[in-house]
Amino acid sequence: MSMSQAEIEALMNGPDLTSEEDVELDMPNIEDIEANDSEEDFDESILDGIDGITDNEEIQEKEDGNSKEKDESIDKSKYPLPVENEHKVVNQLNEVAEDNEQKASQIFDVLSFILDENSSIQQDNQDINEFLEKQVELLESLSEKFPNVSVFNENLGLVKKAIESSSSLSSKLNSENSKIFEAMELMQYHDINRQKIERVMSVIRKLNIYLNGIFEDDTGKENIQIAKQISGDSSDSMGDDDLEALISEFAK
Amino acid sequence: MRILIVDDSTTMRRIIGNVVQQLGVAKDDFDEAEDGVVAWELFQKNNNYDVVLTDWNMPNMNGLELVKTIRNANKTIPIVMITTEGGKGEVITALKAGVNNYIVKPFSAEVLKEKLDGLVKG
Repeated sequence: MSMSQAEIEALMNGPDLTSEEDVELDMPNIEDIEANDSEEDFDESILDGIDGITDNEEIQEKEDGNSKEKDESIDKSKYPLPVENEHKVVNQLNEVAEDNEQKASQIFDVLSFILDENSSIQQDNQDINEFLEKQVELLESLSEKFPNVSVFNENLGLVKKAIESSSSLSSKLNSENSKIFEAMELMQYHDINRQKIERVMSVIRKLNIYLNGIFEDDTGKENIQIAKQISGDSSDSMGDDDLEALISEFAK
Repeated sequence: MRILIVDDSTTMRRIIGNVVQQLGVAKDDFDEAEDGVVAWELFQKNNNYDVVLTDWNMPNMNGLELVKTIRNANKTIPIVMITTEGGKGEVITALKAGVNNYIVKPFSAEVLKEKLDGLVKG
């Protein structure tokens, strides 16, 4: 759940936790939390039966590795990533938007297939129902004419039950269809989200034009010689004495 | 009833097409266009549509331009704008351009049915 700006500010301006007393008052449940987090009583064999679980420790190690790599890359000026098509933000967003549209279309294909199949089942069910209705008429007539033959009456009961099942199947199919239509309606959010992505892309494009404009260099001085070491940059700068000593050394 | 559905999103065209089919319109009785240019070409070529359902934001020719273009050629055909643009200013602009009705996305099938019924009966 996200916090409102007012809540964040209230939290930031809340009681000053400088004294130990305050800290203790505000953190009474830490021991409980730690006890709950304890894995001593936990049967790890349960994890074996669950698919898709990855070892957090390994991930943590990988994350640490990545983090170090990134830090080194930043030091070596390898980060941010090089300006290649695969790293361009607008390109990536465009890819997401197009992929989103493509997948939505595929989901729609699946839903349409289910609707068509349901319609076909509904038709078959209707045919069966019509046949069963005729059987009822036949068995009712036979039951009246031959009241002593119990099999007609028994079968009449079975056919009526089958008609009830057929009606129930029809009603379930209708409910399923209405849920599929509901899902199709909800798929409008794919289009809405795509438009939101396109709006972000548009802002980035405009920002790109603006930044290019504001950083544009009209001075015509393309290769200005820049000082590598300026007084005050670091402690490695040579003092007057060191400078004189070095000059004297070379003068020998 | 012949219907022209115009939207750059394939999914949206299919959703609208589905609602229209629920109303009893056969698949062969509606055409789809992915932008205003294609829609205008179909409109001129077929010249037999009873209703046009169009999105606003589309490449090449947007929905508003399409509405104005169609209105120049045909003053009576009902046009419904179906768009994410929900601002009052946009609705007024669309109405001034000549749309007969306006639906903001996301919409329910019932809303489209009601508006289409109203246009066909009206």
